[in-house]
Amino acid sequence: METNNHSIETKNLNLWYGDFQALMDVSVNIPAGKITALIGPSGCGKTTLLRCFNRVNERYGNVTTKGEIKILGKNIYDPDVSLLELRKTVGMVFQRPNPLPISVYENILFGLRIHSPFGSLTRNQADEIVEEALTSVFLWDDLKDKLKVRATSLQLEQQQKLCIARLLPLKPQIILMDEPCSALDAKGTLAVEELMGILAGKYTFLIVTHNMAQARRVSTECIYMFLGELIEHRETQALFETPDHPKTADYVQMRYG
Amino acid sequence: MNRSELIIQIIALATLIIACVLVWILTTEVFHVEGDILSVPMDLDSESDLIDRLYRMIPLLCVAMLLSIAFAFYIEEWLSETTWYYRIINQHISILANIPSLIYGILVVCIFLFQVGKFSNFTLVLAIVFLVVPVTIQTTQSAIRGVDLSVREAAYALGANRWQVITDHVFPRAFPKITGGVFTVISRVLAIAVLLIIVCELRTSIIQDVGSYEISSNVFVLISLALLSCVLSSFLQK
Repeated sequence: METNNHSIETKNLNLWYGDFQALMDVSVNIPAGKITALIGPSGCGKTTLLRCFNRVNERYGNVTTKGEIKILGKNIYDPDVSLLELRKTVGMVFQRPNPLPISVYENILFGLRIHSPFGSLTRNQADEIVEEALTSVFLWDDLKDKLKVRATSLQLEQQQKLCIARLLPLKPQIILMDEPCSALDAKGTLAVEELMGILAGKYTFLIVTHNMAQARRVSTECIYMFLGELIEHRETQALFETPDHPKTADYVQMRYG
Repeated sequence: MNRSELIIQIIALATLIIACVLVWILTTEVFHVEGDILSVPMDLDSESDLIDRLYRMIPLLCVAMLLSIAFAFYIEEWLSETTWYYRIINQHISILANIPSLIYGILVVCIFLFQVGKFSNFTLVLAIVFLVVPVTIQTTQSAIRGVDLSVREAAYALGANRWQVITDHVFPRAFPKITGGVFTVISRVLAIAVLLIIVCELRTSIIQDVGSYEISSNVFVLISLALLSCVLSSFLQK
């Protein structure tokens, strides 16, 4: 199903908020099973681009999108695409940890419950799924006695990991992350980054970050955007050490930003 | 306040005035045909008749509140905030909800009790609708808006559809505030009921002896000023 090992392919993607053009002719291929970072100054369209990939943008009205986005070889603007399935395949982690204000246990099952017929989940299955999801984000030992605790009362780092964990039962292919560590301290950031490193390979990660050190640490490929345009897309090391484009060089060497 | 905002507000005010005139014509002309169930004149001599009618309004009150809550969910969740009809509806609601309940009460008493002379069920129905609907919608709207955006984003991003987001998250989170709004409305309605009963008693005991009663024009001037300041406050508070 995957073509040329690219999870996401866009062709001449343009996007407007009202009259303001936020994305200009963005054509990009995101490799499968790797971590790709999106960097660039504020307001350059990183988050907008990210939000296109599971069509969360559409909820805000006043958005016009032109161009093509293929996810796993399928154009997501085709009329037969179900938003439900799309969002199951493409999970999203937000800037501020946003667990739902229900218990840890229910948080992890919420996605699964809305995607499976009512009552089809037995108690044993549910328990297993919760344990598996929490184990894969290394939260099980901390939280196994706190499953009934309201998720919003956890530490921020745990909340963010929980937000990743609740995507996993849906078996997503791609996980989008919008500055996942900006609300976390150094320890939390490290924990989330390690987690990404371990989960990469199984999932395709696309991460927006303002932190260039982070982009350098975690990603294998890196995309630099400026004012809605894609300036450069290369392997991370190459982009940071020998940038092709003078604008990229300005940014990564902190002359601009 | 930019120009399009002003235009929307003026359109809203104009349609509101037209609606009020239509309602006036309907209540004074159409529904006062002899024998119409809605316009059976009230026996003003007996206070118990009034109270009896007020009791019969309770089911209507409940239905009006439930429909208002449903309508508030409709406007907040289904209509896009940038569309002109959303803005006009919102402007209507905010003007109507800003008007103090006492003004409705006085208007009901003045227009329907003294001037028209017939106090029909339809008048009561109308008063209740005006009293209940805008305020319920407004408090429900603010309760819905109070639900953190991150909750919605999280649920939508997991693939929930609108109904699932509303029933699983928005409604439970907004419920306490919605109930609070409902109690505000109940207090408004009870206050008006008290006003009606007092006026009815006064009329039967004092005013009927005089034979006729002219309402001072000052009252109308004051009511107009009160309405005007309501409109202004809803314009400027945006």
